[in-house]
Amino acid sequence: MNPRKTRQRSRPRRFFIRVYAMALKEWMHIVRDVRTLYFALGMPVVMLIAFGYAVSFDIDNVPTAVVDQDHSAQSRALVQHLFSGSTFRNAGSFERSDEVEAAFRRGDARLGLVIPKDYGRTLARGEPARVQLMVDAADNMTATSALSFAVRFGLERNNAMAWEVTGSRPWMLEARVRAMFNPGMRSALFLVPGLVSTIQAMMAVLLTALTVAREWERGTMEQLFATPVGRTEIVIGKLLPYFGVGMLQVLLILAAGTWLFGVPIRGPVVLVFAVSSLFLLATLGQGLLISVATKNQQVATQVAAVSSMLPSTLLSGFVMPIDNMPVPLQYLTRIIPSRYFVHSLRAIMLRDAPVAEILPDAAALLVFALVTVAISTLLFRRTVASVR
Amino acid sequence: MSLITLVALIRKEFLQALRDKRMMAMILAVPVIQLVLFGYAANLEIQHVPTVVVDADHSPESRDFLSGLGADGTYLLQTVADVRSAEDRLRRGTASLAVVIPRGFGKHLAAGEPESVQVLLDGSDPSRAIGASGAVEQYVIQYGTRVALARVAGLAVPAFGSVQLEPRLLYNPGLKSRRFMVPGTAASILLIITTIITAMGLAREREVGTMEQLLVTPMSPLTLMVGKVLPYAAFGFLDEGIILVVGNLLFDVPLRGNVLVILLSSLVYLVATLGMGLLISTVSKTQQQALMGGFFVILPAILLSGFMTPIEAMPLWVQPITWANPMRHFLEIVRSVLLRGASLQEVRRPLGMLVVLGVTVMVVATLRFRKQLL
Repeated sequence: MNPRKTRQRSRPRRFFIRVYAMALKEWMHIVRDVRTLYFALGMPVVMLIAFGYAVSFDIDNVPTAVVDQDHSAQSRALVQHLFSGSTFRNAGSFERSDEVEAAFRRGDARLGLVIPKDYGRTLARGEPARVQLMVDAADNMTATSALSFAVRFGLERNNAMAWEVTGSRPWMLEARVRAMFNPGMRSALFLVPGLVSTIQAMMAVLLTALTVAREWERGTMEQLFATPVGRTEIVIGKLLPYFGVGMLQVLLILAAGTWLFGVPIRGPVVLVFAVSSLFLLATLGQGLLISVATKNQQVATQVAAVSSMLPSTLLSGFVMPIDNMPVPLQYLTRIIPSRYFVHSLRAIMLRDAPVAEILPDAAALLVFALVTVAISTLLFRRTVASVR
Repeated sequence: MSLITLVALIRKEFLQALRDKRMMAMILAVPVIQLVLFGYAANLEIQHVPTVVVDADHSPESRDFLSGLGADGTYLLQTVADVRSAEDRLRRGTASLAVVIPRGFGKHLAAGEPESVQVLLDGSDPSRAIGASGAVEQYVIQYGTRVALARVAGLAVPAFGSVQLEPRLLYNPGLKSRRFMVPGTAASILLIITTIITAMGLAREREVGTMEQLLVTPMSPLTLMVGKVLPYAAFGFLDEGIILVVGNLLFDVPLRGNVLVILLSSLVYLVATLGMGLLISTVSKTQQQALMGGFFVILPAILLSGFMTPIEAMPLWVQPITWANPMRHFLEIVRSVLLRGASLQEVRRPLGMLVVLGVTVMVVATLRFRKQLL
């Protein structure tokens, strides 16, 4: 190329040309490796479908073991009433309560109902009869649900028995539970925004984590240095194509979520996309930073896996409430981009929250993106210098 | 298979791994840090739930009801004027639960007429709201029972019996979620580390071209494979031990059963996870593909293991799929042995499944691996 012609072009123009060239080169890498591309686009949707159906907190059919030491008509009526609905499933009858514990240890039962010898006689005298409810509390979540099912069953049973004798139902106080924003209490509604965030956090980090490390390992980085392309241009040029792929992923996964699981988008769709693109930038920046800092694909992988997978599931508020964590950990969650994304997606999609509530999240994501890209560029320069 | 070449290869792999300081840090320090962080983070207990209260009745009964609700500190009660402002609090996310006591609550209760307390919960952030509303429901029912029994006692109705359920919480009376979550965190950390490291390590040899160099040596493919996998197995085992000790010291995860059962099942689990890593490496040409493949296997394995959501809560058609997941069985064994003190005999079903899965994966991976090299 004629050197005079190059000089005539303005600096910003040259910058864009180089970024474009760099992005084009990276794009060709992506397109040439079709398997990875298909994987990257297909995987999020497959995962969302699988988990949207599979992951749920709603426990039904609690496996319940029964120890009937009374063998009376009343005790049999109690057991029959217990298994008449779909809440409890008969997990076997035993003679002693330590056999129930063995069933707990084998994982066959979660609840055990122990009816004592004098159950029928106590009831016949018109007195309150004690029944022991054994709960496998190792799993505290299931135990809590099972316990509240059992308490409700106790209420029903008492009303039924009182009705037979007195013709009135003395237990009149009940709780009417209504879930706002999610009347059917469908798990999919709150899980889909969280899953979108988890899947996207991993995909974005994985996409970029190897891109720079690969060039170092294969020795093509030196070739890049021989061209007039600068560090900023390399970094931005590498980010752009992955941003395209990432946005496509977000689109696919959101579309799948809304169509297949009927997750509403009650707030403005534009806002969903704005937050998604900021989140994408933040996570791509995270991947790039890892790639620049490690320069080795195997190490980059480990760092990427460690910094994206578990934090985005456990520290994002997706499953575990953040205000339940110890205070230092609550501070730590502030540097996890998924935290802001999960919160804002749920707020926009389910609650139609005001923009003012979303702004801090958006700002945090933007800052995260800017900081990671800036550090990547800085680190990049230093490593280039040290190689010389 | 020659023993000398095998030992030489294992030595080479160990040296290579030990020389890479960052890799060693990833393998040894990171699992511990993760366990500590996530052990503290994984807390699904119902505590300090921000709750708004609307008392439209202002009677002694409604005040008694509310003071009982706020007594043990589970709910941080805050009174607001009407339902609309309660809903507004929920929408803005400053409360996750609202309890509304209707007008006439006290009168109806005293007269034995039907009455209900309305509970509103933030359905967009479920993990806490579901448990919390369940607990409110329990409170309402127990409160109602107490009032009803007191009222009926003073009336001239025929005596009738009632059932008194007496809950007995085994293994974890405080309903602490950490004890339950730590074994799950350990199982997923082991899975992530061993599967991905194996898959990437082999894909790397292929990508960099050193696989050909290994092939011209007089080593058989089987020797090569065993030599490659054994060091990772050793690191995985070391991690397992560290995690168990840290879990016990920091999160007081008990060891009620036999530690040998844990070690035995860890060994089988590692065979399965390393086999999966090997299998992934045989279908990938580059490290990036190996990484993607690794995640494609790991994420479903974690989510479908019962780690965070119970398997019983999954749809019936999904539950059989979880049988093919080694992590599910390993988790079942570890939780049962650690927390419930199960014996080898009592965990034979998941252990048997784990053996079947581990052997199958390893055999398939070995066959593919040999075919590729020969």
